[in-house]
Amino acid sequence: MRNIMERALRKSKAEYTEIRIESVVSSWVNFRGQELDSIGSSKILGGIVRALFKGGWGYATFNDLGDLDLRVVEAFESARLVGRGESELAEVVPVVDEIEASLEKDFRQIPLSAKEGVIEEYNTIILEYDNKVETSNVGYRDSFRKIWYVNSEGAYIEDERPDVGVVMSAMAREGANIQQGFESVAGGAGFQIVEGLQEKAETAAKRAVELLTAPPVTGGKYPVVINPKLAGVFAHEAFGHLSESDFVYENERIKDLMVLGRQVASEKVSIIDDGTIPGLRGTHRYDDEGVKTRKNYLIKDGILVGRLHSRETARKMGEEPTGNARAISYQHQPIIRMTNTYIDKGSASFEDMTRDVKLGLYAVDMVGGQTSMEMFTFSAAYGYMIRDGKLAECVRDVVLTGNVFETLMHIDMVGDTVEYPPAGGGCGKDGQSPLPVGFGGPYVRIQDVVVGGRS
Amino acid sequence: MAVDQLIEKAMKKAQGAQASLVQSETTNVSFENDKLKFVKSSQSTAMSIKVIVNGKIGSSHTTDIDDVDGVVERALEAAAFGSPAHFEFPGPQKAREVAVYDSAVLPVTKEQMVDIGEEMMTLVKEYNQDILLSAGVSKSVGKREFANSAGAKHVSEGTSFSAGIQGQLVRGTDILWAGDSFGWKKREIDHVAIARKTIKLFRMAEKIVPIDSGGLPVIFAPEGVNVLLLALNLGLNGKNVFLGSSPLAGKVGERIADRRFSIIDDPLIDYASASGRFDGEGVPHQTTPLVEDGILKSFLYDLDTAGRAGSKTTGNGVGCNPTNLVINGGDTPYEDMIKSTKEGLIVYDVLGLGQGNPISGEFSVNVQLGYKIENGIVVGRVKDVMLAGNTYEALRDIVAIGDKAEWAGGSLIVPPIQIGTLSVVGG
Repeated sequence: MRNIMERALRKSKAEYTEIRIESVVSSWVNFRGQELDSIGSSKILGGIVRALFKGGWGYATFNDLGDLDLRVVEAFESARLVGRGESELAEVVPVVDEIEASLEKDFRQIPLSAKEGVIEEYNTIILEYDNKVETSNVGYRDSFRKIWYVNSEGAYIEDERPDVGVVMSAMAREGANIQQGFESVAGGAGFQIVEGLQEKAETAAKRAVELLTAPPVTGGKYPVVINPKLAGVFAHEAFGHLSESDFVYENERIKDLMVLGRQVASEKVSIIDDGTIPGLRGTHRYDDEGVKTRKNYLIKDGILVGRLHSRETARKMGEEPTGNARAISYQHQPIIRMTNTYIDKGSASFEDMTRDVKLGLYAVDMVGGQTSMEMFTFSAAYGYMIRDGKLAECVRDVVLTGNVFETLMHIDMVGDTVEYPPAGGGCGKDGQSPLPVGFGGPYVRIQDVVVGGRS
Repeated sequence: MAVDQLIEKAMKKAQGAQASLVQSETTNVSFENDKLKFVKSSQSTAMSIKVIVNGKIGSSHTTDIDDVDGVVERALEAAAFGSPAHFEFPGPQKAREVAVYDSAVLPVTKEQMVDIGEEMMTLVKEYNQDILLSAGVSKSVGKREFANSAGAKHVSEGTSFSAGIQGQLVRGTDILWAGDSFGWKKREIDHVAIARKTIKLFRMAEKIVPIDSGGLPVIFAPEGVNVLLLALNLGLNGKNVFLGSSPLAGKVGERIADRRFSIIDDPLIDYASASGRFDGEGVPHQTTPLVEDGILKSFLYDLDTAGRAGSKTTGNGVGCNPTNLVINGGDTPYEDMIKSTKEGLIVYDVLGLGQGNPISGEFSVNVQLGYKIENGIVVGRVKDVMLAGNTYEALRDIVAIGDKAEWAGGSLIVPPIQIGTLSVVGG
């Protein structure tokens, strides 16, 4: 493969050219209700050429590897149409490296029938938990991605990226009242991480049934304590996206807002993006332009200290590349993305956070989140009201919203232990979704959070 | 043809098989931060197969055109312990004609696409230099071959074209986003109208106004109607109905919405994004009235779900999802809707849709682009505001439906809809 790719590179007259080819073998098993809904496996082969000429980019993606030379020329021609300025890429030492994934239990060696067996057991646990459980949706998916990367500066990387996960969802019903409970486990690991999850299956079913009798949260402004599973999503939505430099580097006003050294959060807050934490879904040795990943502080003690870069944005902002140019597949060019984002630990205990709260909300586990950079939402799977310092009734439909320039300032307590829940899910940006990312954090207390709902 | 080869190979061991080969060439030009950023061309090939062996289904797909043997083998392997089939592959059937190919798409050059983007940007810049713009123009030409072991076989060629622009205006720590886009299977797109619409959205947002928490009448602009459609799509999905997770199960013939509300699934609209003669299972497309004058008429089915539910496929395979949706216009001009509102909200775009418990109809979203009405006049934009309610309650609480249904994206034709009261929580 290396020879073919390096030969094709020479067809480009661009100032910089790279080729990334991927082969992905994946399989899936999905139960909905009593029956197996779908089962199968697939094989994907494809690639992308990126060419940079006079500051303009040309991309060509393809499934047919036979025309590689042609695709290189096509990418160059596109770049030439765009280029009207100067090409700028931060310098990195070209790497030659081959990475082999080592899996405790290689899911490629496990027959589909065995995968089906494991998933069927979880499905049965959910369906038999309670007669209020109406149906289920339990899905398994694995993929083994092999990447060949070469660029015109001499880099050559072969990388193997396994990803495996289970999503378990239970649906309970009483008349028109339908509630769901979710649990998921995913990671860049072997089949062993999706085994032995009987307890999680039961938890999903239990949650769905419990939520049938939980009232919707009453909308309003509350002090909110979020648990570690939610804290990571909060860090990701509330600040992570704003620190992606493609949003900043050519935007004078945002540059002013996001100037390094500015206080953007209370001094209790440190937020980190780290693509090197073993086993997490956002972890790789190199990003998709061959730059080594690393630990990047975004906020340290409330002060903006860094941001996430591609080689292009790093150069244009005079900062160091951070290894955050990522692509979900060969059909896409790398763009600036988070890897594993977490809030660093503080010194408070959970009891410290609830003790003096007269009326507040404890929000638990994540469903998802979305941001428009300034405003963001994030949703909890469920919550408990805090009344006079104690956890009170369970509530559902917990969606929180915030404003990045206010909410981070309102964090007044941060827990003393960081957790990295191995949950599934992914991030979407510019049509590239879902990208595997990791989350983490401690318990966090935030004052004056707007919680949606009826009054 | 490759699909015949796939069927032939599969039928050596299977009792039924279906295969498709989809090939396409796509070109995108993209502007970021007021400048042309990249041009991208994509060539794609995808081959997929589904087999039935001893009454069980297995499937596989590949992008490697030389992987004919492999893809068939993997599907057969999966079928050995696959999901039970509740259907047989349909034979050849007549289908209605619908336009999905526009010969004007293929000849469009990259340079012409760049020009379209630049014209849109120039127009918005003329309104306000400070708006930072991104824009995109895309064209695609593709071909789909389909065959099954019952003798159904067809080839369809299709095109698509789209253009869009989005602006960002930063004032202090306030970041405002607004934009518009449109795409369908036809070359003809009024990109000037897309730019003008964007300008209109910015103009209405020049002032930020406060809003108090409480119950307010809410107008969903055509672009915002998807807030209501998300839950409805899940509820009308035949598979959810069969599995008991749709609140609409068992309610066909009952009133579920205001009597002025009608919605149709229509895959036979010329050039609409989800149009085509056949669905993904070789079943001829049809129009399906879902809700008529407020009465629930039908759910959407694919072959397997219809088989399980004892119903008939509506040509929504695979997955029982809608194609193009059309909500009929009502009798209230949009302007009158606004004029008659003492205090209310207009919603164009939201954040966090689908994060709550959408199947139950509950929604709780941040109003990403919305405007406040006071005494019949749009007074400005609202922000840091949460909007919450239940879709099924809202559909019964419709107070007015706009008299003009508009395209809101390439597969949705809807009027503005005004709901009596929804819960608003201000920041």
